[in-house]
Amino acid sequence: MKPSTQSDLLKPTNEDTVGPYFPINFSDPLLEDLSRFESGITAQPQGIPIILKGRLLDRFGELANGTLVEFWQANAKGVYRSPKHEGDSDIDPWFWGYGRLRAESGEFEFKTIMPGLCADRAPNITITLFSDGISRIVTQIFFADQESNASDPLLQSLSGEDQAKLSARHEGQSDCGSKIYTIDIVMAGENEIPFFDDLIREGE
Amino acid sequence: MSNSGRQLEIGPTDNTSDQRTPRNRLRLIPEIARESFAPYVPQRGLSRQNEWDMTRIAADLPRAQGIAIEVSGKLQNERGTPISNAMLEIWSANHFGRYRHIEDHSNIPLDEHFLGTGRVFTDSEGNYTFWTISPGAYLARPDIGRWRPKHIHISVSGGGSRLITQLYFPDEPNNASDPMAILMGDDFERNIGKPYETPKIDVDSGLNFDIVVGGRNAVYFE
Ligand SMILES: [Fe+2]
Repeated sequence: MKPSTQSDLLKPTNEDTVGPYFPINFSDPLLEDLSRFESGITAQPQGIPIILKGRLLDRFGELANGTLVEFWQANAKGVYRSPKHEGDSDIDPWFWGYGRLRAESGEFEFKTIMPGLCADRAPNITITLFSDGISRIVTQIFFADQESNASDPLLQSLSGEDQAKLSARHEGQSDCGSKIYTIDIVMAGENEIPFFDDLIREGE
Repeated sequence: MSNSGRQLEIGPTDNTSDQRTPRNRLRLIPEIARESFAPYVPQRGLSRQNEWDMTRIAADLPRAQGIAIEVSGKLQNERGTPISNAMLEIWSANHFGRYRHIEDHSNIPLDEHFLGTGRVFTDSEGNYTFWTISPGAYLARPDIGRWRPKHIHISVSGGGSRLITQLYFPDEPNNASDPMAILMGDDFERNIGKPYETPKIDVDSGLNFDIVVGGRNAVYFE
């Protein structure tokens, strides 16, 4: 690979809003429930099944309907299914870690497993939102009952108030025994949660 | 030197943008946490054989109304490396400006022969091609007479690449007043397709749209 400077780089295509009409027929049930593998296969992802119940809210507290929500997380052993970890013996063959759903009303339920501790990171799920009126925005959700939150470098870079906004609360159990966590993702206004800049690096 | 992230802007005259755009500056990600922000999308193979031809609902059905076009281009990253086997999810309004989406409640007519959604994959050199009907513009804000210019939605995913964008058409009168185009400023030009002639195939004309996926996933650029 030849070293490249900033000026060698091609200019990226502009991101644009997804608009209100992301096709519902592009939905894939396998991406909405990562706590199981394809049906008919004797296989089960490792880890504790959880359900993340979320509400996407706009600055007036109204549900942000029609939002496309994407999830990215490590497996139960804290390993991401990315090229960097290819060949890692802790890869779970039955778990990829990428999820996607369209929150028709603005509420969603994402079934998955509790992500594991990853090096210095507390269990977390990266959430990407594509919604009408905005281009892609990203954040990361934590779990309020995890002790490791106290030493997570991302969480600890935020104020206590902001940390709480990114912490899903454990609220009961589903009929199937999954732990239920709830989170309000306020996109704008008074209770706006922190969103992160994955284009700009510190010091750039 | 920056010690905070970008300030997102609200699309002018776009009510939804006003409702949903974060007001606080984006936060910087500590270096140690960057990798966790770069999703790696698994390969998905969900495309029917005829989906590349959106000018008809299925291969055995008639053509939809309007002007049939080919859209093609190369998908690459900022370093010019082609991105192969990525999925493009495509959706657009019909010739009249109506989506066949259950939530599009406008009075604009549907076209019985137009579905308006399709999926294609890039080949080993990062090239993609699909046919569709040149979409109609539609009135987005009747109260102020603002139209959404002709556009085709394209969502790119595969491996470290993730992008949702829109392809616009050259010389369209409504391009200049589009809220997102206004925010893009001079960069808007890169989202406008370049016309080409298509004498040998069964469409009216072609539109070239090379797509460059930006740098947020630099972790995985080989
Ligand atoms: Fe649209």
